Amino acid sequence: MSNCIIRLMLGNHAIAHGAMEAGIAVAAGYPGTPSSEIIEYLLDNGREFGVYAEWSSNEKVAYEVAYGAALAGARSIVTMKHVGLNVAMDPLMSSAYTGVKGGFVIITADDPGMWSSQNEQDNRWVGLHAYIPVFEPYDPQNAKDLVKLALEFSERHGHPVMMRTVTRVSHVRGPVTVCSPEKPRYSEGYVKEPRRHALVPANARTLKGELLRRWSTIEEDVEDAPHVYIDGNKNLIITSGVAFTYALEAVKNYGVKASILNVVTPVPLPRKVITDAVTRADKVIVIEEGDPVLEQQLKALLYDEDIRVPIMGKMENLFNRVGELTINSVMDGLTKALGIVNPLTSIKTISIDYSPPQRPPVFCPGCPHAASFYELKVSTARSGARPVFSGDIGCYSLGINNPFNEQDLLTNMGSSLGLGMGIYHGTNGKTLVIPIIGDSTFFHTGLPALVNAVYNKTPMLILILDNRVTAMTGGQPNPTSMISIENIAKAVGVDYVRTIDPFDTKKAQDTITEAMSVVKGGGVAVIIMRRGCALEATRLNRGHVARYYVDANACRACGICYNLIACPAIVPLENRKAWIDPNMCVGCSVCAQVCPYNAIKPEGNVKEWLGKWAEM
Amino acid sequence: MRLNIYLTGVGGQGLVTFATVLGDAAIRAGYKALVAETHGLSQRGGSVDVHVRIGDIDAPLIPRGGADVIVAFEIIEAFRAVDYANEDTVFIVNRRLIRPPMIKQKIPSINELENLLRKNIRKLYVVDAYSDAAKLGNIIYENTIILGALYSILRLNQYIPQGVIEESIKMNLRRDIDKNLRAFTIGLKYGNAK
Repeated sequence: MSNCIIRLMLGNHAIAHGAMEAGIAVAAGYPGTPSSEIIEYLLDNGREFGVYAEWSSNEKVAYEVAYGAALAGARSIVTMKHVGLNVAMDPLMSSAYTGVKGGFVIITADDPGMWSSQNEQDNRWVGLHAYIPVFEPYDPQNAKDLVKLALEFSERHGHPVMMRTVTRVSHVRGPVTVCSPEKPRYSEGYVKEPRRHALVPANARTLKGELLRRWSTIEEDVEDAPHVYIDGNKNLIITSGVAFTYALEAVKNYGVKASILNVVTPVPLPRKVITDAVTRADKVIVIEEGDPVLEQQLKALLYDEDIRVPIMGKMENLFNRVGELTINSVMDGLTKALGIVNPLTSIKTISIDYSPPQRPPVFCPGCPHAASFYELKVSTARSGARPVFSGDIGCYSLGINNPFNEQDLLTNMGSSLGLGMGIYHGTNGKTLVIPIIGDSTFFHTGLPALVNAVYNKTPMLILILDNRVTAMTGGQPNPTSMISIENIAKAVGVDYVRTIDPFDTKKAQDTITEAMSVVKGGGVAVIIMRRGCALEATRLNRGHVARYYVDANACRACGICYNLIACPAIVPLENRKAWIDPNMCVGCSVCAQVCPYNAIKPEGNVKEWLGKWAEM
Repeated sequence: MRLNIYLTGVGGQGLVTFATVLGDAAIRAGYKALVAETHGLSQRGGSVDVHVRIGDIDAPLIPRGGADVIVAFEIIEAFRAVDYANEDTVFIVNRRLIRPPMIKQKIPSINELENLLRKNIRKLYVVDAYSDAAKLGNIIYENTIILGALYSILRLNQYIPQGVIEESIKMNLRRDIDKNLRAFTIGLKYGNAK
């Protein structure tokens, strides 16, 4: 072990490194918080060891890439956020039937608390639904260990394995023992096995029986997973995942007297390990993050085994069912269940009689999306149209905020086109629908919907906000750098396709107005608003930024710049005149175009800078 | 030993980098450390908090009222952090006001906010990291100056030798190392100034 060192490591990086230590050959994913850093790490650190990693166009494609590699016999992982797994459900359900040859681990990063998600689904349910075992780590070191174990487990049973992390595992940094990666285990060659790999009904029927037999050996094998039992008391806390760390703190530091059993595999339960622990207990308290997945199965198990002991958890509302666990919520539940005093409630907290204003996330200074939303707002208002703005998932979701208010619906990746079409038809053609979608989301699931719009003759003005990267999750690359959205739109039959620069406010407004008339005439119109992400542009051209400043004598305090484009760099002064924070301005020029009094002036060579920015 | 350090600020101010340098230094000095960050959604402009726990700890999040020190990179965010403070909590507050955009309501001046903090918090240290960093040539060094302030005010040298934290700065920042080391040293004055 002399080639191992302890490092402070992000949970997601630990997962990626663990996969490399287990010799993965192929990794695929689609970015989504809190999962994105796994593939990023493999792209940065895996190549030199021969690992193939890719950002796929969506989670289903990523799943199929990794699954295909595993069918051939290579070790592989696929990564995505919890809701991303829904996109991959189709191949996922079938992969349990075919099984795999090489180790195959599906990493799903759940987001309890919805820090950056539209819901907080608990993907351990998916394991139950699909007959796929679920491993659940509690900290970065444990996550690294479990991904290795999961890959070996998968290969041993020839079956996919899921690893469920949560935000407080994926986005926690902790000490991790890092060792040298193993040589990637690629396949020697794909062996054809149509009876197993081709799921026509006759084959699938046979495979279902085989799947159930495999499941029962998996149920036996999970007994030997590294479940942790800490003997202490007749009160037994059963946990899985990050809940284990809160239970440990409660027992070590806050006067809770209990034994703890941490279950590594919430799906399927290690029946013997659990019944052994429970028979020694008078009372069982289940703590888990997300839904009562462990608790429900445990109750069924103990009914089967005829063990009667009080079980308490989320189903009894002992712990919060919405959001993340905290040590406070865990201690509230534990002390209630055990009838003891909660020492955390006697801490003398302080209060100050001032409520700070909310600080919602906003568009970055110079964000081209802010310009696009401004232009869309002005052109629709001028023409008197009252369109439905059908939004989508990405940085541009922030168009929901003041002063834009241009995201009326927003449910899932690619939904802007689909829901928009539904609203058009549902209102019998009476609604002008404007779907707004980003470049990455367009390639993700917008593309089939665009085909549908043309095919089913649904008039819409589709704005594709192309900022050249998947910006919301940290600027990952996507097909927009290689594949022309214009050509795609034309190829599927859109007649009106225009490309504009959102930093050219006049032309943008004119084009949107023209496109609305095309849609009123029954056509599908596509406008690609192309300008690179401001964060990426300044990152690529560090130190070459031109800026703008406000000429205080010319400013008439009309407020148009700070009220309508809401750039965080533009601040209203006491006298309501505008001031531009030179440390925040990135020189996008939009405020200068918007100012009716010509009071916003450039500093530095703006033309050269915007030219460089346009090269992205 | 158990140290709960609660960081609060505005997206883009370098809290995650700060926490990584600190956590890495703690591990280099032989302690356990956990750093819990939440990001995603917008990368800039929103409220950000990071929990740093060092020593005898298992869970990633600090209990309410359980912070030994609250480091506010921006003055309004200091008020949002009081849930994590108790009467003995040390507050280190950067003298910097970042206006929440698009808010019509009046924001108190930085002096008014500072006075409000002074009235309510016993162990308050106000640091001028923003102007210190500007003098050093770039506001990007703001967070390293605050790190120096934290290090000296909490007397962290009893756990983490200065050489170790400088090593961590070198390993984790990679860019402009010399300027960052100077920024750290500039920050040290806040502990001596008491």
